[in-house]
Amino acid sequence: MSEVPTAHTPKVHAHAPAEMAVETWESALTGRLAARFGGGISRFGSYLGQPFLEARADLTLDVLRFLRDEEAFDFLVDLTAVDRPGHAERFELVYILYSFASNERIRVKTRVGDGVAAPSVTGVYPAADWLEREVFDMFGIGFAGHPKLRRILLPDDWSGHPLRRETSILAMDQDWVRRNLGIESGQ
Amino acid sequence: MSATFLDTNELELNMGPQHPSTHGVLRVILKLDGEKVLGTECVIGHLHRGVEKIAEARTYQQFAPYVDRMDYISAVSNGLGYCLAVEKLLNVTATPRARAVRVILTELNRIASHLFWLGTHALDIGATTPLFYCLREREEVLKIFENYCGARLTTHAFRIGGLQYELYAGFEDQVRAFCGSFPGRVDEYEELLTHNRIWTSRLRGVGILNAEECKRFGVTGPVLRAAGVAWDLRKAQPYSGYEQYEFHVPTGEAGDTYDRYLVRVREMRESVRIIEQALAMLPSGPVMAKVPKVIKPAPGEVYVSIEAPKGELGYYVVSDGGKNPYRVRVRPPSFLNLQALDTMCRGALVADVVAIIGTIDMVMGEVDR
Amino acid sequence: MMGPLRSTRKTDSPRLSLSRVFLGVWSRAGAAFALLKKFLLLDLLEGLRVTFKAQHPSKIYTEQYPAERPAVAERYRGAPRLNNHPETNQTLCIACDLCAIACPENLIVVGSVRNPATRRKELTTFTYDLSRCMFCGLCEDACPVDALELTQDFELASYTREGLIWDRQMLEEGPRPVRYSS
Repeated sequence: MSEVPTAHTPKVHAHAPAEMAVETWESALTGRLAARFGGGISRFGSYLGQPFLEARADLTLDVLRFLRDEEAFDFLVDLTAVDRPGHAERFELVYILYSFASNERIRVKTRVGDGVAAPSVTGVYPAADWLEREVFDMFGIGFAGHPKLRRILLPDDWSGHPLRRETSILAMDQDWVRRNLGIESGQ
Repeated sequence: MSATFLDTNELELNMGPQHPSTHGVLRVILKLDGEKVLGTECVIGHLHRGVEKIAEARTYQQFAPYVDRMDYISAVSNGLGYCLAVEKLLNVTATPRARAVRVILTELNRIASHLFWLGTHALDIGATTPLFYCLREREEVLKIFENYCGARLTTHAFRIGGLQYELYAGFEDQVRAFCGSFPGRVDEYEELLTHNRIWTSRLRGVGILNAEECKRFGVTGPVLRAAGVAWDLRKAQPYSGYEQYEFHVPTGEAGDTYDRYLVRVREMRESVRIIEQALAMLPSGPVMAKVPKVIKPAPGEVYVSIEAPKGELGYYVVSDGGKNPYRVRVRPPSFLNLQALDTMCRGALVADVVAIIGTIDMVMGEVDR
Repeated sequence: MMGPLRSTRKTDSPRLSLSRVFLGVWSRAGAAFALLKKFLLLDLLEGLRVTFKAQHPSKIYTEQYPAERPAVAERYRGAPRLNNHPETNQTLCIACDLCAIACPENLIVVGSVRNPATRRKELTTFTYDLSRCMFCGLCEDACPVDALELTQDFELASYTREGLIWDRQMLEEGPRPVRYSS
């Protein structure tokens, strides 16, 4: 039998992604949002025909509530985060909203720094409950006001947050594995 | 002073992770008052493999087989969603022939997924027979997949930009034969179940989730449609050429387990109609669009979603201009649908929990990723 | 939309006529009909007819594996094989390493030396770790000379993990599973 092949260490880009070529997004909706929140929304953009806006983190709840109540974006499709370590506020939270009335989908993005809790939106969209727990589990972003912020996919006493960029794909809480599974390594 | 053993205390009961009706490794902690469910809590993650992390260390093409392993009952749909997302990021459209073949295979996969759901759901309720018939028909679909791409379950059927394989000789005949015989088979399932008194009394009025609650919890797919919302991404935001085909979006009224059964059964019939139309107007031509060998999309991000058998399956792909995706986020329909389990179970009986877990039609590989 | 959900049957087949006849007779007395239908267990008998219909020996669908080995599809993605030229019996592999680069799991290791006379790379070792393989077929798609191929052999079980790491000889000869049928 031949020797065990050596696994290549995968290359993971540690740098933040380059800027994307964003077009300006202008519509009646952006006008109403700008009138309401002014400088709180720093950018209305669109990439490949998909509109998004960037809002200040402390305004997240107000913006989402406004979109839900006044603009009929009554469906939270997804809530996730992107880690961009180069930035001062490294995490980008992405809320994908859908409106059944207008058949439109928009993204609301905010930024939070490491160790800073974002406001929980479970009060606006109950669907965010598990989604926020998953973001907390994978990135270590706290959510202030979440009813039960615990890990969801990984065990409660696991250490580390796998989807942070600096976490290697081969990294694993080996102590937990030894303690709980009685094997040397989970790899 | 009363005897202590007569006290009715609340009881906590663990269901799973090794419970046959939890369809994988789902653990549900039930809070019970006698037979009545006061609340539930799901413990998930037993099948977590870090699919989103794996994506960071793979090229765009290399990640495609991994998405098959999330919702392994409908791997073709997963592959379609991922390929569409990367194609959107690259600003490429698959060729007309590739799009039609994708529709045929995805709809066959929807039938296979619904069949597997129907068989196991009926088995949970206590009807053993439909399982065998459903798996028999599903086998026909899996044979088509095997003939087409060489694998039955984790198919890796599509590639970014189109298809790897041209159709095999006899594909159209085999699919036509299946479409010809399948509606009669669905009639048989319905003879077994639709008017069956045990079936109806176990399902009617159980696990009701109305349209308002569906929207609040992010529930999509047949569960949402059974609550009376005629919302299907194939109609609302057509992709891969679905706008060319004529089909209905079946809806229910009561939003209970029985309506979800009828919606899915009717969806299978509609899928047959779509496949027949797609076969009739199958264009000729190449199956692969011009895609560079090394895929390096310009920096940017897209969210693309499709109507998977379980609901809205979305891919949020972020590119930094490199060979590997910077971030791939999967919006799994099962994950969000399962979140509504607590609402559906409150006030139900323990035996109904089995029916409700079955009716959500979740696959734990997709919930945990 | 589509009207109220009752049965989603497209056609009323003649096989269902048993209950239809009763429906006709009792149409003016719906309540009595429902009672009789319930009493006569018609709903259950309909289902039982389907069950009994499937009992005929010609309807048997189960494959008798391992007594009978199923014929898998021509494109089946099973055990990997390293092809030799049918006449010269020399390996077709040109040690280009494309399969190893294409593999998502990095489980292929190609060893080669450069022949100083021809200035070409020649294959020395080839290792394929089947224990991590997910049979996605990306390696055979990448192969420019059809040397590496996923074949129709599907019986790959091994008693040890090491037994699943195939070397060049194993890849060229293919697996030899125990056969319980001719």
